[in-house]
Amino acid sequence: MPKCLVCYKWTLDEQDIKIKPEDLSLDASRAKGKISDFDRNAIEEAALLVEKNGGAVDALTYGTATVKQSLKDALSRGPAKVYWIADASAESADAAVTANVLAAAIRKIGPYDLILCGEGSSDMFNQQTAARLAALLGIPCLTFLQKLSGEGAVVSATRKLEDGTEEVSVTGPVVVSVLSEINKPRIPTMKQVLGASKKPNEEIKIADLGLKPEDLVPKATRSTVKGFVMQRKNVMFKESSAADNVAKLKAGLASEGLI
Amino acid sequence: MNFELTEEQQLIGQSARDFGKQYIEPIAVELDHTGEYPKALVQALAKHDFMGLLLPDDVGGAAAGFVSYVEVIEDLSRYCAAVASIVNNHTIAAYVIQQWGTADQKKEYLPSLAKGELLGGVAIYEHGPTPGVGAEALVATKQDVGYVLNGKKAFVRNAGEAGVYVVFAITDPALGAKSLTAFLVKAAAIGVTVGEKLETMGLKGCPVADLTFENVVLAETALLGTVNGGAAIASQALAVASVAEAAQTVGIGQAAVEHAAAYAKQRVQFGKPVATLQAIQTLLAEVATDCHLARLGLRNAALLIEEGKPFEVEAAMVKSFLARLGSKMLIDTCQVEGGFGYSESMPLPRMFRDIAGTNLLDAPGDFPEKLIAASIA
Amino acid sequence: MLASQLMTPALELKKSLNQPITALALSEADAKALAALGADHAVFLQSAGKWVDGFAEAIFTQVSKAAASIVLIGGTLRGKTIAAYVAAKMNAGMTTDAMTLKVANGKLQATRVLYAGLAMCEEDVVLPAVATIRPRTFLAPPAAAIPGTVETVAVETDARVTLGAVSPNGDTGVDITTAGKLIAVGRGFRKKEDLKLAEDLAAVLKAELACSRGVAEDEHWLPIARYVGISGQTVKPDLYLAVGLSGQVQHMVGCRESKVIVAVNTDERAPIFEAADYGVVGDLYEVLPLLTAALRK
Repeated sequence: MPKCLVCYKWTLDEQDIKIKPEDLSLDASRAKGKISDFDRNAIEEAALLVEKNGGAVDALTYGTATVKQSLKDALSRGPAKVYWIADASAESADAAVTANVLAAAIRKIGPYDLILCGEGSSDMFNQQTAARLAALLGIPCLTFLQKLSGEGAVVSATRKLEDGTEEVSVTGPVVVSVLSEINKPRIPTMKQVLGASKKPNEEIKIADLGLKPEDLVPKATRSTVKGFVMQRKNVMFKESSAADNVAKLKAGLASEGLI
Repeated sequence: MNFELTEEQQLIGQSARDFGKQYIEPIAVELDHTGEYPKALVQALAKHDFMGLLLPDDVGGAAAGFVSYVEVIEDLSRYCAAVASIVNNHTIAAYVIQQWGTADQKKEYLPSLAKGELLGGVAIYEHGPTPGVGAEALVATKQDVGYVLNGKKAFVRNAGEAGVYVVFAITDPALGAKSLTAFLVKAAAIGVTVGEKLETMGLKGCPVADLTFENVVLAETALLGTVNGGAAIASQALAVASVAEAAQTVGIGQAAVEHAAAYAKQRVQFGKPVATLQAIQTLLAEVATDCHLARLGLRNAALLIEEGKPFEVEAAMVKSFLARLGSKMLIDTCQVEGGFGYSESMPLPRMFRDIAGTNLLDAPGDFPEKLIAASIA
Repeated sequence: MLASQLMTPALELKKSLNQPITALALSEADAKALAALGADHAVFLQSAGKWVDGFAEAIFTQVSKAAASIVLIGGTLRGKTIAAYVAAKMNAGMTTDAMTLKVANGKLQATRVLYAGLAMCEEDVVLPAVATIRPRTFLAPPAAAIPGTVETVAVETDARVTLGAVSPNGDTGVDITTAGKLIAVGRGFRKKEDLKLAEDLAAVLKAELACSRGVAEDEHWLPIARYVGISGQTVKPDLYLAVGLSGQVQHMVGCRESKVIVAVNTDERAPIFEAADYGVVGDLYEVLPLLTAALRK
């Protein structure tokens, strides 16, 4: 059975983020943290593989100090151990920095046969981590999986792409990214939540990863983040007679030159 | 001092809400209409370890602690308070056995209660003026070996579905309530009959019925706690239960105010969402405030229970607060939703009926105000 | 071909950077087509290997050879995989699904979507940089006055991955992104047969049918090519008529640049109404036939 590692990101819940009407900037002050949605699928997939084939799965996360809030959450979902890197560099880290840090950590705590990621993070949705990790670690990657199985040393999967599906397999270590449809993450039972505090977690210091300073400097930086607000006419037809509403809609469509 | 739940308690709450959303929300309306005990749902609850929350792990419980417990009850109640009632009545029965049972009794009942294979219920009330008084009072007459029970218990929740009941009976009509004694009675015991299910105003799906005991023979080993020591057990059980029931009330109130707020933001009258009208804002603010303060109060009481400290006064305060304001939360939110919300296809009417029920339930001992006043004057 | 569309931003960036455009293609015909659109140098990467993703290393080799400042790759799922791989090998930054691109202050400046459609941002990437661009973000440019050169290079693909069965979707010919009018159906429709109401309306309006994720992926009432949303199609028709569709952010991000959005829904509180120019609160089973009849007159 493959030795599995699942990488996850602790993100802000976008449902809690509000758009300030004055300047359309984002107010995340009340946003709670969550394990990125697609990463939950990755963790669940790893847990399912372990349930099927035996073995154990580790989890790895890189974030700011808040990442400590994620540990019990992650451990309640199946992993036997979670490795965590909490560093200020994560605040501005882009996909390049993230991959550098994760790859260095994997070199330190690995090797792993199967490394799982979500297809993208629910906040930035860069969709780069899995492929970057594969490139840095010198192993192949299978992305956008709707199905995954690991029998012995062979990892087989079904990718779902725009034009159809393709079946792929790899013998030997591989990085994968999974789609949300691959599984439905379990609701941790009470015992699983309470059992999480009994599982080990280990901090990895960035300084111990042997990275060069430039590896932690982001190549992509974000500016001018603005909430997207739909500016629409919001003309509502709510008469009790559907025929009346339809007549008014027809007039509206005509005024727009659409009919 | 920290007013926030611990990380673990928050995760427990999140799991309970996710469970509620996935398993309870889809059947809540149907459950209210049919009032049929949701067997499959209870099995799902058991699978997620919700049926053994307060029991220690050596009997298969989750050993969650009381603060986590009330968090779960509140979260389940957001989706359907009747389901939370099933869980709570079961949990209190198990709690009583855990606190006062002998090693043998614990061994016999707790593992299957923890797994939710066995459902528990508590039989305290009677139709008479106080337990132990009146023609139908439940009397446990001492025999050479064991006791014989005769009489009736009223308003027993989980009746008919429970496999074991914690039953309070008097041993001596001359002493009346002072001789109240607790027993463990199996539902299958000969002479135990479950009466017709009560059609309650709300909390439908949590069965309520009378239990009739006709010459029910109990072995000595069925005695729970000490002879004539039942009043203390009942009082404690009710006080603990009342804190959980406060969580039910708050859960319903919270769900109601969130629903009403979402409605008010969308409903446009006089050219603006009604949420901009001061009258509506006042109603929503009051309900949100009452929920928040009641929640803090009940968490405080829950923490005292968890720490084994005296809690009856704090529990009484929460009970008293919600007795006055619990139903008001639904009166106000229904007012916000107006004509739209009055329809049975909307959730508030059901919640209105449910919260009337959670508010009626067990008070700690005497009227709460009496207890509170006694603590300060 | 998606790469043809990428030539438009490429030609703009060429002006800013004054650097030649190299185009990489996996067929000779595509290489020639890109040369015809203005690529100074087009390279056909020839290999016996069939797995597209397996070309990533070979693509990186060509990128290094060309000493590219900017690499543009079509934002398909494969494209994004290859792009991220190449970016890592280049030790470069990458901006995913850029909606606009320009060079400013010696960096590649892109705008893109964040938080599942909640927000937009500007992203600056130091050069050399990689960017992926989603289909139909740009239109292909007209033919260049002088086509570029075309070269064939034999390459190896990744032998570590075994490609098994490939199952195409089989709903070719459906391209809702070119439709001027779309009727988008959601789960307000109770069954597949009821979509006929929308089809009748579409016939009168000369519109195409589109749908929500649930209709395509859960109910399978319509092919995936008709699904509009964050992981489906992005459309910009003149009219987007959403029927029985709640209008969540993940859907709306795919159609929010439509000229006019109309919604029909029984739930007055559905988010679609906030995003609509015109909204009818009513039962689609009643409204649609009436609307079809009214428009026939």
